[in-house]
Amino acid sequence: MTVIARRLAGHLARGIVMVLVVATISFFIIRNIPGDPIAARYQKLIEGGASPEAAERATAVMYGFLPKGTLWQQYLDYMSGLFHFDLGISVTNPGTPVTEVLAGAAKWTVLPVLFGTLLSFLVGVILGVYAAVKRTGKLGDVLAVSGSLLHGVPQYVLALLMGAIFTTLLPILPSDGTADILYEPGFNAGYIGSLVEHATLPVVTYALASYGGWILAMKSSVVTVLGDDFILAAELRGMKRSVIFRYIARNAILPLFTILALSLGLLFGGSIFIERIFNYPGLGFLLIDSITNRDYALMGGAFLLITVAIVVANILADLFYSVIDPRVRSTEEVS
Amino acid sequence: MKRLAAVVALLGLATATAACSGGATNKSGSGGGGGLFTTIDVNRPGLEPSAPANPYNPKGNSFLGYNAMKLAWVKNDLTDPNKFYPGIAASWDIAPDNSSVTIHLQPNGKWSDGKPVTAEDVKLSIGIAYTQGSTAFAITPGAAGAAADVQVVDDHTVKVTQDMTNPSMKFARGVLDTFVAPAHVWNSVLPADFWDKLKASRATGADAEKAREEITALGEKIIAFAPPKDTSAGPFTLERVNPSEALLVKNKNFFNAANVAPDQVKFLNYTGNEQIWNYLIGGKLDHAGFTAAPTNVMDRIKQAPGAQTIKGFSPVSVGLAFNQSKKPYDNVHVRKGLAYLIDRDQVTKVASPEGGTAAVTTSGIHQKPAQEWLGAELSALEPYKHDVAKAETEFKAAGLQKKDGKWALADGSPWKFSMHAPAGFSDWISAQENIKSQLATAGVDAEVVTTADYPLYLEELAAGKYDAGFWLLALGPAPYDIYQRLFGASNGWTNVAGKIAHAAPGKGGNWMGGPEEIDVAGVGKVNPGELTGKLNASTAEQAKPIMVELAKAANENLPLIQLWDYVNTQFVNTSRFTGWPEAEADVLRLPAGVWMQLGMVKKKQ
Repeated sequence: MTVIARRLAGHLARGIVMVLVVATISFFIIRNIPGDPIAARYQKLIEGGASPEAAERATAVMYGFLPKGTLWQQYLDYMSGLFHFDLGISVTNPGTPVTEVLAGAAKWTVLPVLFGTLLSFLVGVILGVYAAVKRTGKLGDVLAVSGSLLHGVPQYVLALLMGAIFTTLLPILPSDGTADILYEPGFNAGYIGSLVEHATLPVVTYALASYGGWILAMKSSVVTVLGDDFILAAELRGMKRSVIFRYIARNAILPLFTILALSLGLLFGGSIFIERIFNYPGLGFLLIDSITNRDYALMGGAFLLITVAIVVANILADLFYSVIDPRVRSTEEVS
Repeated sequence: MKRLAAVVALLGLATATAACSGGATNKSGSGGGGGLFTTIDVNRPGLEPSAPANPYNPKGNSFLGYNAMKLAWVKNDLTDPNKFYPGIAASWDIAPDNSSVTIHLQPNGKWSDGKPVTAEDVKLSIGIAYTQGSTAFAITPGAAGAAADVQVVDDHTVKVTQDMTNPSMKFARGVLDTFVAPAHVWNSVLPADFWDKLKASRATGADAEKAREEITALGEKIIAFAPPKDTSAGPFTLERVNPSEALLVKNKNFFNAANVAPDQVKFLNYTGNEQIWNYLIGGKLDHAGFTAAPTNVMDRIKQAPGAQTIKGFSPVSVGLAFNQSKKPYDNVHVRKGLAYLIDRDQVTKVASPEGGTAAVTTSGIHQKPAQEWLGAELSALEPYKHDVAKAETEFKAAGLQKKDGKWALADGSPWKFSMHAPAGFSDWISAQENIKSQLATAGVDAEVVTTADYPLYLEELAAGKYDAGFWLLALGPAPYDIYQRLFGASNGWTNVAGKIAHAAPGKGGNWMGGPEEIDVAGVGKVNPGELTGKLNASTAEQAKPIMVELAKAANENLPLIQLWDYVNTQFVNTSRFTGWPEAEADVLRLPAGVWMQLGMVKKKQ
């Protein structure tokens, strides 16, 4: 068995235990959240003008989808379902399995947030190197200040600002939604154009919101690497600036990979503020909705998805680290 | 640099695509033909693309009045629960004693696949209704207003008979307010022996219990049923759904298709009121049903080109309800004193200027039907107009003491009146903040406590944790529905199979904790829960004197202070469509799809 395979097996075993522990803890926390989802739905309908009988009818059916039995029995059912990838039935989407609801929302979160994260990572890392190398010049100052500013502005402020600029002052982008329903879904220019058009604001806002963190982290990492002996040696040996630049970037980026992997794991948590402001119905949206409606199965499913994603991302980060950093690999081989 | 250039190019591509496809959206927006009608379903936030086109599924992509049809559409009448507009049924005969309803279907009714709508569709739909907790089609033994028999008279006629052992005035409403599904698509959802099972469920004993369980279990299967394609007898059929929008297209086979103007209907997704406000401010919606909005938002909505509101009767009021198990709220003089200190006009102006009118008194009935039910007796009720002197008299009668300008309890200990409201209910919170400041001026220390959300609020309210909280009441038009909010389960009375029972305060959901009997001036001792129970089977004439007694009981005993009566405000936009209903029209609370069925809503020329 290779070193990597042994590491992978160890990580998987620990990961599975961690997922089960988190599933157990979240199950009991969720079930102990106070509040009556059915009474709330009834009153909401009444306030919205529904007749008492219509409200009763609309809520009566929800009872059938509430978990049954004692808390212990519910826990056993939940864990047994988990081993069959059955997360139960959503109360707010009665009849629809939680896995289906999560899968439906996931695509509207994962792609835009993934794209936004990678975009901000690439831009942040490249500009972070420039900001560090040119830290005594004007360009370095401008980049550092832009990073600090964007890092300090809350996501929802940026989203509101972007919305105000591009949907009201300069209305070139849609303010909400995922795609115009008038376009037939499929591989056609109209539909794809509509998808891109609707995703632009959420993606760019997400990228802007996380760009500051990357540029500052990369700048700090590069500044540390710049003081290392191997850079001084390279300069003394008269190496080209582009080669030295590559040395710096490759060494400085290593710590950022761990943060990137964790960020990718958190993809499944969605971006609640951005999704809410742009009415982009992804996982963050779904999570808030499930808490408001006390949809235990959906809440549990969403938390589990986030947990699994983070555990998997950690494992991948660890494995990836040993691939990209020869020092880690050689240490393992020696041990 | 190459990477940076690639990123810049990608962003440029996104913007360019946005610019191109933006035009396409606007072009499609004209819809062609009768136009594209854009709306939201105010009773159902959140579109779910994976949900089936199933009217029984709360998240189903069946939109009431558009591609989901009922036998008839309930009119928004002040007092009569049995007035309807035609739907799948063209007409109906209600027996004078309410013992039966004979339904005559639309002679030209067709499903979107061209098959005729028949009595068999109605019978199957009634069978399905039994699995869904319907009022007329209930399997609970002894339920009020339940059907005893369903008979197919001919292809276009169905007769439904009421079980007269526990009749209800709302029987016809329970029957006609039923969804109709196509039997040729849905027949697999009910087993062949369903009607035998239903018969067995009406008996007593273990077999009957088992039959009831089986029927209830069918309900879950029906909710999950996904027809391969939307088959609608309504004016529209579902074309497709994504998480942010749903598209419906005109059903050429609809019996009144010639009178339906729009070619397409687009439903927009929302999860909270803020999104609806944004749609309305942007002029995106042709119609939206009642949505609460603060004054500043309402002003911006009205500024949108073509924006208009249509107002009408909404049979809902809101009141500040007391927990009488807690001192000093068990003392009617304390409740009356508080009522005299609250200026309801001011509260309504602050909290719900567009969506409500200040209650003229506490009668338990919305002001408009109150005039119909109570006549001259309405003016005889104590109006509890803002009067500090009267409040002082009441507080003194309750034994409260005033020290240094502040009211204290009878034993001299400090008194703080605590009001609760759920977070996010901006109108309720504004109202309570206003009440708090009014009470503070009069020397009553008060506080507003916000509960995390509505489910928690209701649970804690029912558990008797609050001194006072807001409570919806006056849910007309049926008299029983009006008073069961005041003298029903929340105040200790339950109605099981027509038999009224009373639970002690703090037990069986009794959080209001009022007395079982109330001494009403000029009437004597009354049991309001039993009187309310009688309303279920009373005719309008029989109900009137009972309503007067209950109004007096509510007015004298004040289990709550009625604050404002809701107004049904519908938002419409005249930029693209005209022909909207008039203010106060009895179709106002029905979906705009029903307005279209009835020949309203035309494309602007």
